[in-house]
Amino acid sequence: MTTDLREATLGTNASLRRHDDVRELLPGVANPTPLVRLNHVPDRPLDLYLKLEWLNPFGSVKDRAAAYLLDGLRRRGRLDGRELVEASSGNTAIALAALANLEGTRLTVTIPDGVPEEKKVLLRMLGAEVWETPDDLCPVDHPKDGAIALARSLAASEGGTRYALANQYENPDNVRAHYETTGPEIWSQTEGRIRWFFAGFGTCGTLTGVGRYLKERDPAVRIVAIEPQPGHRLPGLKSFAEAKEPGILDRSVIDEVLRVDDEPAYAMTERLWSEESLMAGPSTGAIVHAALQVDIPAGDVVVGISPDSGRNYVSYFAERLGDRGLPQI
Amino acid sequence: MTQPAPTDLKVADTLDCSGLLCPLPVYKTALALGTLSPGDVLELICTDPGSLEDIPAMARQRGDTLVGLEDRKGTQIFWIEKGRST
Repeated sequence: MTTDLREATLGTNASLRRHDDVRELLPGVANPTPLVRLNHVPDRPLDLYLKLEWLNPFGSVKDRAAAYLLDGLRRRGRLDGRELVEASSGNTAIALAALANLEGTRLTVTIPDGVPEEKKVLLRMLGAEVWETPDDLCPVDHPKDGAIALARSLAASEGGTRYALANQYENPDNVRAHYETTGPEIWSQTEGRIRWFFAGFGTCGTLTGVGRYLKERDPAVRIVAIEPQPGHRLPGLKSFAEAKEPGILDRSVIDEVLRVDDEPAYAMTERLWSEESLMAGPSTGAIVHAALQVDIPAGDVVVGISPDSGRNYVSYFAERLGDRGLPQI
Repeated sequence: MTQPAPTDLKVADTLDCSGLLCPLPVYKTALALGTLSPGDVLELICTDPGSLEDIPAMARQRGDTLVGLEDRKGTQIFWIEKGRST
């Protein structure tokens, strides 16, 4: 059990960026994550901004969902005497593990195939128990969702008394996080001028929550979803040709779905690093690549989500680079 | 659904998955088999009826051999011999 020494401190002063509790760094309209314009990658004049979600305190867009999921579980009494369990490709689990530590509870995470070693180590550093789960875990009924099935079975086993399932794929608190924070932040940061919004299929909390908020403010805003190909290697994104659609996905707020191959997504990620000095992860590359394929009128304000940092995928990048950047003798 | 186990069967380890719902027994069985040597037999106890389909399918998929199965009023007992290549 950790000791709480907050009473002995100077106290929080947001204008000095001094905080008594790391949770005060969670985003919202008063503390939005930055929008940064891309000035080099587009091949034509384009007001394309990335929302840098990796500047959240636990490193990704999933900080928002995790905070709302945990808050909802606590309010409904589901956390009383229980540990947390969740299926996650890493980012939600990292944020949940960090927040759970501060609540004095513990996280077990079922993590699917293809998640880089970096994320598993981060989770274990945060005290989480990591169950690596093959996608085809269920040999009979085998959609590519073994981690989700395993998390559900853990939550249902032992009479449901040991674990509370955060359930980011079905829990409306995930959508609410983005409806109440990400959407209003983008609307405010673009001064209501956003015309296009791009985000990836994953849990679909971002797409549904932001899409719903923006459509309510201006039905003409185009909401574009990015979907990887089956068998992809873009962690955090999901192909619904191989995975079940999350219950929280509301397709009525999505105008268009664009499919992206791994190669151009990784190529664009490299360009974001080397030309824009934005050290984003591969899902950001997929989103930017897709946005640049669309015929967007000059002057339209475009926002894409940059879900996480490339630092989570160093081992993937090392494979891709081979001996590039090393002295050739 | 019963497949009598050989009478001279030597069990190397037993895993009790009573009360656990699929795919948890599948996951734990794969972990348990991972600690055994080829030819060793794992005795597995399950109570989820889904195991009757999942466990034999898993054994086939992994290259292990289901050498016996008894379904005793809601409790299923499997004997799985670890394959050479798993």
